[in-house]
Amino acid sequence: MAVSAADNVPPFIAAQLTHLLSHFRFTLKVEQMWSGDKYNSGPFDRFTLLIPFCLDFIKWDVIYNAECPTVAPDVIFGPEDEDFHPFPMSSDDGTQASNCLSDWNYRDPARLLSLVQFLRDQYVLYQRKRVGEVDDDRLKFEISTILSREGIEMHMSSVAEKPEEVKFAVPLLDMNINKMVPSCPWRYPQKIHLQVVYPVGRKYTSAPSAPRLKLVSSSELKALFSIDDVKLPPWLDGMCLAEYLPNLEEYLEKQVSEAVSLIDLRRQFIEALAIQLGRPVEADPVFCRKATFLSATGVFTFLVHFLIPTQFPKQQPAIMLQSSQHFNSQMAPLKSRSIADYPWSPRWEPLLMAERIYEFLADEALNFKRQCSEGQLQ
Amino acid sequence: MDDRPPLQKIAISGPTLASLIQRFSTSPSSLDGLLFGHVTLLTPLNLSDDPSTASSATTTSDESTSSATLVATVTGFISSPSPTSTFYDSTGTVTQTSLRNILNNHHHHNNHHLIGWFSARRKTPLRPSMREFSVTQSLSSLSAFSSQIQNSPNPNSTSSSTASSSSSSFSPCIFILLSSPFSNDHIHTHEYRAYQLRASSSFEPKLIDIVNIGPAFRGHYGSFSPNAAFPVLECDLGISSMNEDRDGNADKEDERLSVMKEKAKDQRELDGCAEGFEVGRLSRMMGSEARSYTSNLEDLYEKMLAKVENLTRLVEQSNAKVLEQEHYNRKLRQKIRAAASE
Repeated sequence: MAVSAADNVPPFIAAQLTHLLSHFRFTLKVEQMWSGDKYNSGPFDRFTLLIPFCLDFIKWDVIYNAECPTVAPDVIFGPEDEDFHPFPMSSDDGTQASNCLSDWNYRDPARLLSLVQFLRDQYVLYQRKRVGEVDDDRLKFEISTILSREGIEMHMSSVAEKPEEVKFAVPLLDMNINKMVPSCPWRYPQKIHLQVVYPVGRKYTSAPSAPRLKLVSSSELKALFSIDDVKLPPWLDGMCLAEYLPNLEEYLEKQVSEAVSLIDLRRQFIEALAIQLGRPVEADPVFCRKATFLSATGVFTFLVHFLIPTQFPKQQPAIMLQSSQHFNSQMAPLKSRSIADYPWSPRWEPLLMAERIYEFLADEALNFKRQCSEGQLQ
Repeated sequence: MDDRPPLQKIAISGPTLASLIQRFSTSPSSLDGLLFGHVTLLTPLNLSDDPSTASSATTTSDESTSSATLVATVTGFISSPSPTSTFYDSTGTVTQTSLRNILNNHHHHNNHHLIGWFSARRKTPLRPSMREFSVTQSLSSLSAFSSQIQNSPNPNSTSSSTASSSSSSFSPCIFILLSSPFSNDHIHTHEYRAYQLRASSSFEPKLIDIVNIGPAFRGHYGSFSPNAAFPVLECDLGISSMNEDRDGNADKEDERLSVMKEKAKDQRELDGCAEGFEVGRLSRMMGSEARSYTSNLEDLYEKMLAKVENLTRLVEQSNAKVLEQEHYNRKLRQKIRAAASE
């Protein structure tokens, strides 16, 4: 969300919030901004921040006071976190050690960033402490063997009416995926996490049941590699996380390297298409997932869109035609359905694939032209 | 020593709560301030001549059978003049000097102790915030501001097993949070919750008891102490109040004179208010001779009504003036902000 002066945000808040959003090490979201003014007409001086934590979001309300910019903002944490107190009193004399709130300077745009960073770090420690206090032997063992792993986050969820659960977010793979992709466009380092959910609190069950496992990747990684296609290795009885992770990581590492190598195959395919269809009008140069060509049969000119899956060449690309001459009532160009029933074999060379597609298109274009002029398409 | 014994509930009189809410709803933005009152150890009063309340009293006191309960009663509050001139700093640490300043500027008497503070903010969740926790923690750690628990047994004597009997002082650890919901409706909703900060550094939500008249509040009469302070009228014309600086230089002399004038003026105004209600005349309204003064009584009553009406008009006018000033202040603040942001 862009924070602009037009949003009725006082300049000092806008400056700090913009700095926070562009410099925080995770993607933050501002859910809403509003005014604490009596008549609801005043400047927007409070907002809800969505902060990624443990593969989920925590919602914190940041409360400034537009009437007195010199006062540091206050934060209201989530309803589950009433015991989270990031600034404990240093001694019994009612004072606090100096921290990022002392000598608050509202003219310094970096202040909010350091506050939120500090609070999140404290929150990670707070949740880890809560999880550590859970009376569960298996969990205590898991924590003792896994805690040395860098970047692990834990969360204790205790929503009323639901059994207690402990969630782990374990960052996987020590490799820098961003570096593996040539001319990588990603701003944040892409990560794959394993989410492990342990049910706790059932003291009298005989053997601890397997935890719920789920792979989660950052959303941008989907352009390269779909985490949903990964089949998780089975969790054997009596297994612990420290045993499970090495196998999984080894397997994932192979998958990711393969996914990176597939970029080249897609690029070769697009280059082969260019021989038949001419230079693409538009193409995705980094992941080679999309390419659009301009083509014509007689006087009928049309665009051919190729959507290439991450599993290419195992999966064939989807083709869609778009007329340059026919429009619907909303003045949008007419498009064909997504076509997948064309001659294809994953074992063919890219050149052969392109040739066969070109032959197919010669017929299909006439079909498409007829459909357009007969008004069969919307 | 634990000077935060667990409270059973926090009592607040209807008018006090109403004026707190009124103060909040008329303030342009967030508001906070100090809470005054007293903490009393109540021995349960199960004797009643009303059978319905007697039975309910025994059922509710089951969990605390025959043990005394500790009740904090909020009798008054003062709000900080503005969010920048409050009694804590940005880290939430109470600054003792400004706290003392606020307390000194405020007339408080024997039955009026600092027992906590309140915060009121619009369109925010009804949960204590980060700073509110820090302030409460800091405030309740200041043992200099602790008050005595009333009716508390002598710590040396062998007493009942309640935790409260172990100590007789109470630190200002009460926090009342007021907020208004997000929806900007035409219905005004005021939400409030009361907490006590316990030694374990966590907020414990407490029951709020709004004290009104009725059989349910009979127990309060046992511990009732009047707290409506009659305005302090200094009729001794500045003799006792000035004994700190007796050296009479010209400046001080001037100041003393102006103070005396001020007081004389106050006295005149007060006399004006009491006109027609002289003590001698009022005394005739009582006793056996009262019967012959019915017309006199009616006359007095009529005058009283006229005075009340007059007073309402005055309040109305002054309210209008306050509003005008507030609008003006608002404009000024906006100007300053605009200048500061450039």
